[in-house]
Amino acid sequence: MTKTILQFVVIGILLILAQVICSKILLFGVATPFIFIYLILRLPVYFSKNWTYTIAFVLGFIVDLFGNTMGMNALACTLLAALRQPVYNAYFTRDDDTSNPMPSIAELGIGGYMKYMSTMVLIYCTALFLIQAFSLHNFPLTLLRIVASSALTILLLFGIDSLVSTQREERL
Amino acid sequence: MHNLLNFLVKHVSWFVFIFYVIISCVLLFNNNPYQQSVYLTSANGVSASVFNLYSSVTSYFNLRQINNELQQRNAALEMQVIDLNKQVDNLKLQFPDTTIQPIVRQYDYVVANVISNSVSQPYNYITIDRGARDGIEPEMGVVDHNGVVGIVNAVGNHSARIISLLNPYMRLSCKVKRNNYFGTMTWDGRSPEYATLQELPKQGRYIKGDTVVTSGYSAVFPEGIIVGYVVGKAQDFNGSFVSLKVKLATNFMQLSTVRAVKNRMKVELKALETKDENKQALEQQKAQESKKKKLEREAAKKAAAAQSNGKEAKKQ
Repeated sequence: MTKTILQFVVIGILLILAQVICSKILLFGVATPFIFIYLILRLPVYFSKNWTYTIAFVLGFIVDLFGNTMGMNALACTLLAALRQPVYNAYFTRDDDTSNPMPSIAELGIGGYMKYMSTMVLIYCTALFLIQAFSLHNFPLTLLRIVASSALTILLLFGIDSLVSTQREERL
Repeated sequence: MHNLLNFLVKHVSWFVFIFYVIISCVLLFNNNPYQQSVYLTSANGVSASVFNLYSSVTSYFNLRQINNELQQRNAALEMQVIDLNKQVDNLKLQFPDTTIQPIVRQYDYVVANVISNSVSQPYNYITIDRGARDGIEPEMGVVDHNGVVGIVNAVGNHSARIISLLNPYMRLSCKVKRNNYFGTMTWDGRSPEYATLQELPKQGRYIKGDTVVTSGYSAVFPEGIIVGYVVGKAQDFNGSFVSLKVKLATNFMQLSTVRAVKNRMKVELKALETKDENKQALEQQKAQESKKKKLEREAAKKAAAAQSNGKEAKKQ
């Protein structure tokens, strides 16, 4: 248990540091990766809601502090944390009351995990860019940014996922 | 009570969620000027109609006092007109040949009603019932019949928000009318009747009752609009400067009708500035062209010299 928590903390710090650089990226003028939400995606599904909200808010807030975008990421992260369980429940049924799966390829299968992750990333990007634009003015550009950023983020998250899970399997 | 506690415990995660969302929104709107302005212009549309209803009732309450003030102001202005006419006549007698040319009017006024106002907050704002459709633009100065009120900050279609003089964000360039020493007017957040005039040079003498007027250094306010009157002694401020306590001429607790100042020269001044830049660019281009021509000429000379050399060589 302690080991898992420690792992989460280390991954979290690394992700935040990486996100500071990632926030500066604007690929083709539209795509920005948001890799730090990986931590929110990987929290156990039936983890305490209050803790999920808190972790998500703090994560978003720290990224905001570094990116000078006060409140944007914090708000989007909190929304994402709230929609995590509904999204999971929409795709998967709970086998028994005691199980508390941690979303991963091993747990959900590659197809299931892909569905879960893409939906979450799309939700996050939609929320963030709508907050950023804050109006429906020039909506096509906002839409393009949402789609492009989501695609880039999903790609990068798969990369991170493969890194993290191989390490874990070796340890096991 | 028990049920209430049960309810709270059952839905505590919702409250946590709402709490975080509210914190995020507060951060978002307080720190990002763009989101703030969008929020203001849309939310102001709703609140403006409510305030409008409220002010349409309450605006009658101070009519007697405002009427008095206006009459006094009117009398003062009339006296001024008579004085000026006399001066003009005198000057005409002295210099009979000169014709008086009309002065170009630099400033226009848009009259507006205050529909929401605060004086007790640490940062005070005022809302008026005129907006972009009536020609209000951001960074227009706002005055009332007594003196300076504030500067327009966000504009909706039919309403606008003004940063009141009673707001620490507001820094107004002012001068003491008697000796033309200028400083910056700021509000310390204490009393809605007093503000501080800072960064005044130490060598000036400042007497109680001196009039403080706008300096006209920015394009926002015309020069010479009354801001207030000196009431306190000069106090040391950053070594070589002094600060003065000023009683504001505007009564912020009873604002009703204000005027937004439109500077007609603003566009012209901006155009002039860009013109200067164009000129510079042209000059640079010219300089480059003349350089090129010089080089070409030299090259042509060299070529000619070489040719003549060749010819001479052939002749020989």
